[in-house]
Amino acid sequence: MGVRRLNQIKRLYEFTIGQRSLLVFGALLSLIAVGLNLFGPFILKIILDNYLVKDNIVVKGIVIMLLVYLLVEITNGLVAYYSKIITLKAGSKVIQNIRLKVFRHIQKLPVRYFDNLPAGKVVARITNDTETILTVFTQVLSQLITSGFTIIGVVIASFIVNVYAGLLMLLILPVLFLWLYLYRKASNKYNMIKREKNSEMNASINESISGMSVIQAFNNEDKVFNEFLKLNEDYYESSVRLSRLNSLTNTNLIESLKSVVLMFLIFVFSYMFLFQNTTWSIGSMYLMIDYAGKIMMPLYGIIGVFDVIEQARVATNKVYELLDEEEEKEDTGELKIFNGNIEFKDVNFSYVKGHPVLNDINFKVNQNETLALVGHTGSGKSSIINLLMRFYDPDSGEILFDGVDTKTINKQSMRKHMAIVLQDPYIYNGTLLYNIRLGNENITEEEATDALISVGGEMILKRFKNGIHEELIESGSTLSLGERQLISFARALAFKPTLLILDEATSNVDSETEQLVQRAMKIVSSNRTTVIIAHRLSTIQHADQILLLDKGNIVESGNHQTLIAEDGKYKEMYYKQVMKK
Amino acid sequence: MITFLKKISWYYKKHKFKFIIILVSAIILNLLEIMPPLIIGKTIDFITTETLTVTLMRNILLLFSVVIISIYMLTFLSIYYISQSGYHIDAILRKRLVKKYLAMSPSFYERNSSGDLMARITNDLRSVTMGTTAGIVTILDTLIYGTIILITMMVVVNPVLTIIALLPLPLLIVTEVKIGRKIMDHHMTAQEAFGKMNNNVLEVVEGVRVTRSYVQENEEYNDFKAMTSNYIERVMKVVRLEALFEPVTTLIVASSFIISFAAGAYFIQNDIVTLGEFITFNIYLNMMIWPMFAFGMMLDITERGRASLNRIEDVLYETDDVLLSDGAVKNNDVSFKNYSFTYPTSTRDNLRGIDLELKKGQTLGIVGKTGSGKTTFIKQFLKYYTEGNGSFIIDGKPIKDISKEELRDLIGYVPQENFLFSKTVRENILFGKENATDEELQATIENSALINDLNNMSDGLETKVGEKGVALSGGQKQRISIARSLIKNPEILILDDALSAVDANTEAHIIDALKRTRKDKTTIIITHRLSAVEHADQIIVIDDGEIVQSGTHDELTQKDGWYKTQHEYFKHGGETIEPN
Repeated sequence: MGVRRLNQIKRLYEFTIGQRSLLVFGALLSLIAVGLNLFGPFILKIILDNYLVKDNIVVKGIVIMLLVYLLVEITNGLVAYYSKIITLKAGSKVIQNIRLKVFRHIQKLPVRYFDNLPAGKVVARITNDTETILTVFTQVLSQLITSGFTIIGVVIASFIVNVYAGLLMLLILPVLFLWLYLYRKASNKYNMIKREKNSEMNASINESISGMSVIQAFNNEDKVFNEFLKLNEDYYESSVRLSRLNSLTNTNLIESLKSVVLMFLIFVFSYMFLFQNTTWSIGSMYLMIDYAGKIMMPLYGIIGVFDVIEQARVATNKVYELLDEEEEKEDTGELKIFNGNIEFKDVNFSYVKGHPVLNDINFKVNQNETLALVGHTGSGKSSIINLLMRFYDPDSGEILFDGVDTKTINKQSMRKHMAIVLQDPYIYNGTLLYNIRLGNENITEEEATDALISVGGEMILKRFKNGIHEELIESGSTLSLGERQLISFARALAFKPTLLILDEATSNVDSETEQLVQRAMKIVSSNRTTVIIAHRLSTIQHADQILLLDKGNIVESGNHQTLIAEDGKYKEMYYKQVMKK
Repeated sequence: MITFLKKISWYYKKHKFKFIIILVSAIILNLLEIMPPLIIGKTIDFITTETLTVTLMRNILLLFSVVIISIYMLTFLSIYYISQSGYHIDAILRKRLVKKYLAMSPSFYERNSSGDLMARITNDLRSVTMGTTAGIVTILDTLIYGTIILITMMVVVNPVLTIIALLPLPLLIVTEVKIGRKIMDHHMTAQEAFGKMNNNVLEVVEGVRVTRSYVQENEEYNDFKAMTSNYIERVMKVVRLEALFEPVTTLIVASSFIISFAAGAYFIQNDIVTLGEFITFNIYLNMMIWPMFAFGMMLDITERGRASLNRIEDVLYETDDVLLSDGAVKNNDVSFKNYSFTYPTSTRDNLRGIDLELKKGQTLGIVGKTGSGKTTFIKQFLKYYTEGNGSFIIDGKPIKDISKEELRDLIGYVPQENFLFSKTVRENILFGKENATDEELQATIENSALINDLNNMSDGLETKVGEKGVALSGGQKQRISIARSLIKNPEILILDDALSAVDANTEAHIIDALKRTRKDKTTIIITHRLSAVEHADQIIVIDDGEIVQSGTHDELTQKDGWYKTQHEYFKHGGETIEPN
């Protein structure tokens, strides 16, 4: 545990590269500010001892010293301000580095990673968790530096004033640290429980709101309400428990500690007067009283940051966990020219070891031909696409592009020749134009418009006031499924791929949409190699090659006519689905 | 501040005991708080005038200890009761809100987005709790603590010195309020930028296949970089303002001390104030800084608390438009006569002239284009909205005389969007019937074609699904929601396009199971795939809110019309016949 924590700090430290001199400079300024902060009351002591003596008041001295005091305080304020700003600036740069690094990292993670984790969790790593680490730099770092310097400074300054006073301050330190240690332990625990209860409760409320129609349709309001009451009660109790701890030990205890220190000071003053016959100067007494307040001051700040530090630690862990995920290795081969000949040779594949999803797959598609994959859910169609796009790589066997083993080719250079239309088309928040050409500015507005029109999307253009510049919101929820598919087709067309991959939507659409999509499919697949996953056999009657998959094996292959003539499973499926009755 | 206090006064009226403890302990406590500086000042005076004795010292220390212990205990009492009450109010308000949410009909959920409702129960409630805890503390600190110190300074030391030395301190309030507001504004814009960045990353993660297929990694990276820079810039604006607090405070406080020392010199010289009193005075001066800050905070916190409380009350006082009734139904023949319905937010009729007879045990198929009114039609059965015009009778009783609960007991509804709870598969299915036997559960799983899926899940029935669990395919989700309704074995089962994501074989399996198990119960199926309703006793085609065709599959395939066209289209592979 200790080693791990040390490791975390080490890694966090690594990210400060490039900002270290700034951070050191900030700390240095903070040291100066603390010095000035302790020096201010010292001037007041001088006034009290030397110029404000009863019956012997030196007006000139007082005025000069007060001016000095003002100057010191102004400088103190300015230096403290800049020290904070500099630390913050460096800190924000550090976070920026971490964030960009995490982002780059996820871009290089295998698709497998995203398939196994809910999107929300990945997003939280990049935004929320790094944000929590940011608070270390905005709230914690300068707070800790200043507090540390102040505590040490007060002890030193006290020794300068008087040995006994210095000893007294030194004696306080262990008490303070013990208290800090105990309080941190207890409050971390209670804070964590409270936070957990809170997020559990809110998640449950959120779910009830989203699923309200189901709850009401099943008349289960009471059941849900009772479940909520339990969570609400738990949260309330955890809050009260934390409040009890805080009202016992938090600022209340600091205040009392401060008074105890003052009481000891009074004792020291009196004791020395009564038994050692030494009278403290009035200024020294004043100064020590002021310092007693100053040594306690940092504690208010420090207790506030405990919870922040703890959360940041958890967040740092999570971010590092993500950073430790292995990146995909980058292959160096380039696929400069690709004519569209693809071949699978003895390909075996599994997502989880021991559960094969593709067995000895062999097929060949020539330039400009269309291959259709059919089969039931789980037969392995989508896995073939995953391999073709190299979202996953096969366990054994070869996938050849124009005769070259794709394993040696850089993924990005391969994908530049390919385009995919997914079952559930993804629409980005952005203009229609952006959704067609994405970030590729080489595709002109005309080309994008043409692409959309050629797949039959003219009515989408007409429907929008701003035409191709219309902003699509909420992942295209204002568009029908058919329209979203057309945009996705236009995207594929605009990129002019050599190899096109189409994953037909499973869900049933009405005949109007169906027709639109069918027509678009025909247009985008002409003059290029195309691989289609088909759920409706009616779609693929013109395919050059049809593979019927079952449990990861190719069980039948041929074109529509030969397969019908074969009198096998394909024929059976075809009749069951299309010629039903 | 006053309005906020009025708005939460119901709680303290009910718990007078707590109110008294808080108030009394706060007053005594703050009177005690003025003691330590007085003791210190007096001791210093005893020392400088050389009148201190051992007995005196012992008494002073004794008094000091008693004061410290009393302050500690009283502070505990007041802070504890304030926060305990605050969290209690929080729990009560949350309870009321959830109760309200559970009782409201869909039109309420159309008026208020779920994000907004959630914000009220989280953010707004948090602001209110801030008000009832930190807010109350700052009120007490400003009003009681501040006032007592002020009076003490005037009475014990000197009123003139007090007033002139305190002159700069109100600037602290101004600073707090002014900078505080500005910080809030910048904070909002920073939050917006964060939200944007968050959405951007969400898109990146969800669209990972698209990005990679189209090799857009670099463009995406640059977009993200710009967004984070923008966000960090905004955050820096906030923290820069926050950093301003310290120098400004230092300066204002320093000027107070300068005045105090300059004027103090005069008062000491003229024997108006002793040196000990002067020290006491300066300690008090230090103590006055906090109430000044607290004053600004108090205004801010209670104002925000009030605004949030208003938003919460707005929801709590909303009335539902579905009227309650308590009639019961036994049999369940359904009949519509010239029935029409309009959504509360709609300007035209969404259903018109519906005539339909459905006998107990029959199966009704509903087909039609997307947006034709199929779902609107079946929502009439769930009484989500106030009933429309014309007659809608179940078991001889008009729907408006049947209670919502009674009606929903009768019906099992599988919605289009299949919603599952973040619980196990078993819990999700048993949501339909909590006390179902194992046999019933097994039969339901078999009938909803879930056996294979469950075998492939790591923990079978105990697998957690939803947000925190495993990712399910659309088809699996649909079948679990079907199972949830099947296990209820309702008198009327409604499937709202609930088979859209399952393949033809699975659909056939489920339809067969429905035919077997629901012989004498009513079933209503909405679908886009005609094969799912071929067996129905009656099929209606809805278009633009009206029934345009009805009959059995055989009848409808003989008549020209939408149904026949669809049938022919899909029958011939979707290519030979052009529908209208």
